[in-house]
Amino acid sequence: MKLITAILKPFKLDDVKNALQGAGITGMTVSEASGFGRQGGHTEVYRGAEYTVDLVPKVRLEVLVDDKDADSVVDVIVKAASTGSIGDGKVWTTPVDQVIRVRTGERGVDAI
Amino acid sequence: MSTRERRERSNESDRYLTQLFDKAAKASGLNNSGREIALAAVGGYGRGELSPGSDLDIVFLHTGKISEEALKSFVNEVLYPLWDTRSVDHSVRTRTQSREAASSDLRVATGLLDIRLISGNPELVAHVRNDNFEFWRKNAKENLAKLHMSLQERHVRSGELAYLLEPDLKEARGGLRDIQALKAISSAGIVPVPLEKISWAEATLNNVRESLHIASGRGKDRLLFQEQDKVAQLLAYSDADAMMGEVAQAARSVDYLLNYTWHAIEHKGKDGLGKYITKNRVTAVAKNVSAINREIVVDSLGSLDEDPLVGLRAAATAAQLGLPLSLKTCTELAASLKNGEGKLTNPWPDQARELLITLIGAGEAMVNIFESLDQEEIIFEWIPEWRSVRSLPQRNALHRHTVDRHMVETAVHAAKLTRRVQRPDLLLFAALFHDIGKGSAEDHSERGVRLIEPIAQRMGFKAKEIEIVKNLILHHLLLSSTATRRDLDDPATIESILSVIPDVNTLELLHALSIADGEATGSAGWSDWKATLVNDLVQRVKRVMAGAEVAQQPEISDEQRALAQSGQLRVALEEHSSGYAVEVISPDKPGLLSIVAGVLSISRLDVKSARTKTIGNSAVMLWIVTPEPHAPEVSAAKLHELISVALVDARDIEEKLNARAAAYASRPAIPVPEPEVEIFIDAATDATVIEVRSHDRPGLLFRIGAAITQSKVDIRSAIVTTLGAEAIDTLYLTDLSGGPLSSERANEVASHLKQALK
Repeated sequence: MKLITAILKPFKLDDVKNALQGAGITGMTVSEASGFGRQGGHTEVYRGAEYTVDLVPKVRLEVLVDDKDADSVVDVIVKAASTGSIGDGKVWTTPVDQVIRVRTGERGVDAI
Repeated sequence: MSTRERRERSNESDRYLTQLFDKAAKASGLNNSGREIALAAVGGYGRGELSPGSDLDIVFLHTGKISEEALKSFVNEVLYPLWDTRSVDHSVRTRTQSREAASSDLRVATGLLDIRLISGNPELVAHVRNDNFEFWRKNAKENLAKLHMSLQERHVRSGELAYLLEPDLKEARGGLRDIQALKAISSAGIVPVPLEKISWAEATLNNVRESLHIASGRGKDRLLFQEQDKVAQLLAYSDADAMMGEVAQAARSVDYLLNYTWHAIEHKGKDGLGKYITKNRVTAVAKNVSAINREIVVDSLGSLDEDPLVGLRAAATAAQLGLPLSLKTCTELAASLKNGEGKLTNPWPDQARELLITLIGAGEAMVNIFESLDQEEIIFEWIPEWRSVRSLPQRNALHRHTVDRHMVETAVHAAKLTRRVQRPDLLLFAALFHDIGKGSAEDHSERGVRLIEPIAQRMGFKAKEIEIVKNLILHHLLLSSTATRRDLDDPATIESILSVIPDVNTLELLHALSIADGEATGSAGWSDWKATLVNDLVQRVKRVMAGAEVAQQPEISDEQRALAQSGQLRVALEEHSSGYAVEVISPDKPGLLSIVAGVLSISRLDVKSARTKTIGNSAVMLWIVTPEPHAPEVSAAKLHELISVALVDARDIEEKLNARAAAYASRPAIPVPEPEVEIFIDAATDATVIEVRSHDRPGLLFRIGAAITQSKVDIRSAIVTTLGAEAIDTLYLTDLSGGPLSSERANEVASHLKQALK
């Protein structure tokens, strides 16, 4: 099993969510995140004073999938999240040892 | 589900226990047991109220003359059969032991206040009852202090009944335990507690609790989401929302009375400003409004028709001083208003609107005042529309308050943001009403726009202002939803905001409203993350908008021009709806604004607005002022004299103002946001515009004027506005040669001003 983590522009969340649902993914975890990558921070002017915004607001989305689905799901996310401009975010996968559904105690792929 | 059923349940238990008591007496061979022992009910059972899941709280009282063996077997005889049927909380004590237990354990003492004989020797029960009453009254001060502490701990632990999605009917703030606390306070006899004010609340909460026990089949008091529909059905409410609305209303009335009662206990025998004295001192704080015992009261009037604004004035003054409105004043106001006295005209007089804004703008201190106005149903006399959102539940995970309380909380947060906008009054007003459209299936923003229009008209807002407020209410979710769901790099996103928000002033208002709304909703609806996104959006929109509008310099009439050319000091005074209109035409000199403002302030005339302009060597000023309570009689001649003296030497004014400021400093005060000073470089061609936004206070303009004079710049024109308790002062400044200031000079003046206003 794999954990797919995606960092996205906030406004792209709805598109990615719809695309994932279209691909048969029904469960995901979404959280508010902030950070920066190659895009860096940028400078704002407020009431005449300049200040630097170091951390850019992003959305962090996590999905658990079976190994065989991982690549296609990553593709779905990347396609839906892309605007072509800087700051579109990143997607990565990590191997997962075990998954348990708390309510039923099901384990492994059955718990996804 | 009614008091009668709970009483019957209690009577039934009494009969059963009496049987057990008699049987035990026979079995244990205590022939004279009726003399040596008694069985009594305490707590809720003592009051004769039993819900299906309540514990049976009972006490065995004995004389101490029975052997321990016999006593034990007697008690067990009574208790064994009970253990199968319901949970029992019991104790066995002599009179002395009862006294000791009560003095060391608050819960025993409050439980014994309701002790009632079930069976056995009535004298035993009567003694314990009297002992306990005596203890409770004699040590009232310490007992109530302990009670207060235990209540506060419980409130922190259990939260507010009125606003929790799954509240504990007994433990939460405003719940059944608080009702018992109020009764215990009443028994202590220190302050009168009008318990009749919460009889509806008590019945409502008890009925819901009883139905919960029946619906859940357990004795738990937490009203879980999954039980709410069933409980509502048992009580024949139309749905769970209707029931939760009534639970909230009941809890609020309990909490309201409890707050009042603690305040009354704490400030018993203190004067308006908190000093201990034997006789109540009355301090006049506004026209027909005084402070007594750290409470705000309305002075006795023949009829409210003599001064229809007095209710609003009392509320606004109380909020600004951070003191409560006295319960008696609220009750009397409500009764008079319901009798049709003190009706406000339609539209309201300007002062009424100003007072309402002053009330809403007081921040945290406003919440309790608004609660008083709600509890006594005074607010509906002024704003009937408020009834439709009263205690209206919002059963979703995002909100933590009912609709009405959420709007009040939004106004509290908006009060912290008043320096960020040019129209704090419109911000506060929109904040208090932004969700007024809730409570129907229709989109609440659209419905809100329809509902707000007649309200705003009635309050006397101008057509242009009403349009701004409608726009704010219609779009109060626009910035949040756009910032989180649309691409901020896309010009179309910015365009979509520009198409509905016409100017920077409205955008700043909407931004402040979004923040206040979000913060009031709580962490589920608002976070730094969201705030950053919204701020980003606002800054991007601002960049493509034209600059902010500032107040324009006043026009001078030909007549004024002619008088100005004479070079003489001239003062004219006219009656005005806010008090007086004072026209001053004077030869110009450095510090003139400060001097005239200072003279008005020491004459106890509160500046509401002013427009001044310099032409040639003279200045034309029009001031609108309101006399403070006990202000001395004013006349044009008196002001003329004071100003002409001050034009020669202003030191006397400064001294008197400092003395006044010192007197004011001893008054209670609420926290207010720091003053804001903003420079608009390109707002005028012939001068630099500086805008000062500050909480209004005595001598404010004098201080501003003095700081400007010290900075060695001239005031071409000043436009002073007071909106509720906030002042917006726009100053057109020039250097001594008559041109606009360089940006360094402008910054220097701004920092001088900030320093002077600290």
